Amino acid sequence: MSIYLEGVLIGIGINVLLALGFWITANTGQFSFGHAGFMAIGAYASALLTLRAGWPLFAAMLAGAVAAAVAGALVGWPALRLSVLYLAMITLAFAELVKIVFTNWSAVGGASGLAGMSGTTLPLVGGLIVVLLAYLWLVSRSRVGLAYAALREDETAARAAGLNVTAIEVGAFAQSAFVTGAAGALSGHYLLFVNPEMFGAHQSLLIILYTVFGGLQTFWGPLLGAAVLSALPEVVDFLEDWYLIAYGALFVVLMIVRPQGLLAPRPPQSAPPATSVEATPAPVAGAPAGSRDAQG
Amino acid sequence: MLRVDGVTKRFAGLAAVNGVTLEVASGQVHGVIGPNGAGKTTLFNLISGFLLPDEGAIWFHGRDIARMATHRRTALGIVRTFQNIRLFGGLTVHENVLVGQHPRARPGLRSIWPTPTAADRRLRARAEELLEVFRLTDYRDRRAADLPYGVAKRLELARALAAEPALLMLDEPTAGMNASESRVIAEEILAVRDRGVTVLLVEHDMNVVMECSDQVTVLNFGEKIAAGDPATIQAAPAVRLAYLGE
Repeated sequence: MSIYLEGVLIGIGINVLLALGFWITANTGQFSFGHAGFMAIGAYASALLTLRAGWPLFAAMLAGAVAAAVAGALVGWPALRLSVLYLAMITLAFAELVKIVFTNWSAVGGASGLAGMSGTTLPLVGGLIVVLLAYLWLVSRSRVGLAYAALREDETAARAAGLNVTAIEVGAFAQSAFVTGAAGALSGHYLLFVNPEMFGAHQSLLIILYTVFGGLQTFWGPLLGAAVLSALPEVVDFLEDWYLIAYGALFVVLMIVRPQGLLAPRPPQSAPPATSVEATPAPVAGAPAGSRDAQG
Repeated sequence: MLRVDGVTKRFAGLAAVNGVTLEVASGQVHGVIGPNGAGKTTLFNLISGFLLPDEGAIWFHGRDIARMATHRRTALGIVRTFQNIRLFGGLTVHENVLVGQHPRARPGLRSIWPTPTAADRRLRARAEELLEVFRLTDYRDRRAADLPYGVAKRLELARALAAEPALLMLDEPTAGMNASESRVIAEEILAVRDRGVTVLLVEHDMNVVMECSDQVTVLNFGEKIAAGDPATIQAAPAVRLAYLGE
């Protein structure tokens, strides 16, 4: 395999990890707009460990992932107890804060960042993807996966069914940050440098784009979305400098033509049953509970 | 088993529930009635943990649960339904019941492994039983959002019972139903009681309450105005005045 092709595949693989990581929290109905912040923490923590403490990449990557997961839990704990909008704003602010801290922290290179780390290989990235897919597959078939689905469907009903909503959501958010931190570590050791500019709002948006483009229903969607979108600039040469604009246009088209994303095994809504046993108006099931719930 | 002790809840200074005391005896159906705005659903939310009281205590099996998180109350056996059905619409009927078992299954890392534990196998068998009891087997793999109203109501009951509650709290289970459908629900409530589950029933439909309840508490403007067996309640002048407008 040529070095060029290997490099391309590693880049795609890292984006696949980012999309799968994002999906873990999206799958519980929670959307972050600052996942680049977790990526930055993973990248910087692991780079410091390999460059200055001489750690092997794999151990440094795990440490970076743990650091990102801890940050995820700390950000998620207050934010996830509030509304979806709060999580969006808090994560966005968090990622900016992380970027500013790294920019002004001269011990980690300030605005010019860190350079000289290496070691990300295709087997490492591919192996992680396989392990992660196996984990996600097992979870999705389990009662834990059902609990995530229940939270995504109706948080109030999930609470009534005895789910510890905050703990489960924070747990998923921390796992999501863990994977994103690991991907950040691999990214830094693949590009041979990191700097704060790499982890701006555009990076957070790219991660969302990969995930939503592929479709949120199963984890195969983000896998496909990340693979397609990150292969695109390689295949279509002239996109090189324009790929963000092309992504934007592509995304708009997709949202019009196929809002559920590329991969969506289940239709967004299926037809009512042909033979209605009970002849009563049906639409009440799953309808949003109105103000009547709040009064008595 | 449940004793609500002088509980008050205010919204913007207005007491939705004001110093209400009531006692639910084990193995009974306890009805709570009152006109609109009487504080029935607020009381319901206070007992299930969706709201925290400003004053008072709620005793369950000798523990004050007034400030306990909802999932811990569920683990103790207090399980509620909603006035407007709230199912997990995108999940199948079977999956809805499995989610209902969450307080008993307590899934952790072990549950991810494909081979189920003996305890989980028992729970899954129990889920199939519930589907059968509530005549849901034919709908087993149907999405909950696609169910007709009556079937959705049955599924909500089945999901609540999947948690193996000691106290089942039903918030207007016959809302939006005609007389014959209400009768079916009333019979199901009595069947639930006969299996040893205590029921707290908030209901608008006087017939259903009077038919099912062993004890009735009447609320009006957030305060308890009467309590007793159905016959006593129906005869009480205060109740007739508040509820029936006589």
